[in-house]
Amino acid sequence: MSVRGSTQSVASDAVVVDRVSMIFNEGKSNEVEALCDVELVICPGDFVSLIGPSGCGKSTLLRLIASLISPTSGSVLVNGKSASQARVEQDYGMAFQQSGLFEWRTVEKNIELPLELKGWSKSRRRQRATEMLELVQLSDFGSHMPWELSGGMQQRVAIARSLAAHPPLLLMDEPFGALDEMTREHMQAELLRICAASETTVVFVTHSIPEAVYLSNRVVVMSARPGRITEIIDVDLGADRDEDTREEATFYGKITEVREALRGAETTDEPRGIEDR
Amino acid sequence: MTFGKIIRAVGPPLVFGAIFLGIWQLIVEVFDIAPFLLPAPSAIWSEFLDRSDDIIDATLVTGANALVGLLFGVVFGIAMSFVLMRYQVANELVTPLAVALNAIPIIVLVPVFNNMFSSTSEVPRRLMVTLIVFFIVMVNVAKGLRQVSATHLELLHSYAASPREILVKARIPNAVPYLFTALKIAAPAAVITAFVAEYFGGRQNGLGYSITSNAAASRNAASWAYVIGACALGLIFYLVAVGLEKAVSPSQPQGSTQQPTGGLTPGGVSA
Repeated sequence: MSVRGSTQSVASDAVVVDRVSMIFNEGKSNEVEALCDVELVICPGDFVSLIGPSGCGKSTLLRLIASLISPTSGSVLVNGKSASQARVEQDYGMAFQQSGLFEWRTVEKNIELPLELKGWSKSRRRQRATEMLELVQLSDFGSHMPWELSGGMQQRVAIARSLAAHPPLLLMDEPFGALDEMTREHMQAELLRICAASETTVVFVTHSIPEAVYLSNRVVVMSARPGRITEIIDVDLGADRDEDTREEATFYGKITEVREALRGAETTDEPRGIEDR
Repeated sequence: MTFGKIIRAVGPPLVFGAIFLGIWQLIVEVFDIAPFLLPAPSAIWSEFLDRSDDIIDATLVTGANALVGLLFGVVFGIAMSFVLMRYQVANELVTPLAVALNAIPIIVLVPVFNNMFSSTSEVPRRLMVTLIVFFIVMVNVAKGLRQVSATHLELLHSYAASPREILVKARIPNAVPYLFTALKIAAPAAVITAFVAEYFGGRQNGLGYSITSNAAASRNAASWAYVIGACALGLIFYLVAVGLEKAVSPSQPQGSTQQPTGGLTPGGVSA
């Protein structure tokens, strides 16, 4: 699977990004060209990571898919609909680096929030929240307040919330960026389990190479200023990845491949070291 | 809170207060200080007992002024904060004004208000309290309505939430702690304002008038006895505000969330 032109995209594609450019503050002195001519097709069931140096526009690309911002040119399709239509129909869930839990709501009520906005009945919401808590293994914490939970647990609640409406697509912006290494690896395994169980397509922004390689079946490497896709690397570590996978030669091989792709993307115009965490 | 915790919290200041009063009493007796200079605590206390009925009446008068002004100020302040949140123009017009008022002792407007109403009216004092409370509540609640976390806003946009839904799900709950911060500042400020407003004339029935008139007649101990009433009134208002906060918002560990710290106090009431 690689980059396909818009003419080949089909309605069943999860995400189609077609020749998208994004320029902030266009025509002003502080104009920034964040993305240039980006094309990307994501199939249902894919786990795609966007990786690149700071300021390469990977978060911008994610926000474009989420329709939180609109592209300067080009188009974005989600589930065969325009991105804004997909947003209105809540076709995707979203998770950020900050868990973004509402501190005045219980854990359960936080998970119910997207369902409230969809107009679900109270009993139906409560039932779904209970299911989601089970999925992220926090069944005993439904009536707790967010601040009573550890950072990793809060992030699990945020993931449960983003999946509560059973969206086919999950958009994640460095969700584990603020967690310590141990919690982070545990959360990665959890995320794979949850996504496999719920058959969700994931677009995952990260700046950690091992994280991208471990989680994804495709790693999208981006270059900075203006952000563009320089390479897409397929990864196949098998469906039953576990802690041992992290010590295998294929895992290291892919890490090296991604790192070299990043370095190549970087050295084309800016000969600087890169963050290779 | 257990009994032991209450003792530990209240004990030290009580002991300190008792020691302070003891030293005060001792100094007055040892140096034989004239009562019109500094009355002894024992003298103040006996005046307090003698005049307790009158002190309670005066406290109720001043307290009613503070309470009425506080309620009106809170209602108008909350209403105005919604206007400021909704209309950026209003925010740009009013907020600098509120900040400017911070530097002006607007309590000096009381004589002007007194001229506007009849001399037996409580309205000028209540109006003054309303004005002071209004700005404190407006500035703080507007801040709470506006300063919603960026992640919360992005999340709600990703759910395609309407502005009204964002108001109900994020802005209003976010402003609640700000309202209580404002109340904790506004409640004592209401008492101080009601009290000081009596210094500028009007009806002669409240605590402020009683203190000045007794002081003018060199009945210092009596003046101080009314001060006890004033202290009690301020404390009651503050404790009710704290109690309301405890009752409404669930207990949180200190510093865990973005609770507002401190607040803007326009009005220049620092008496």
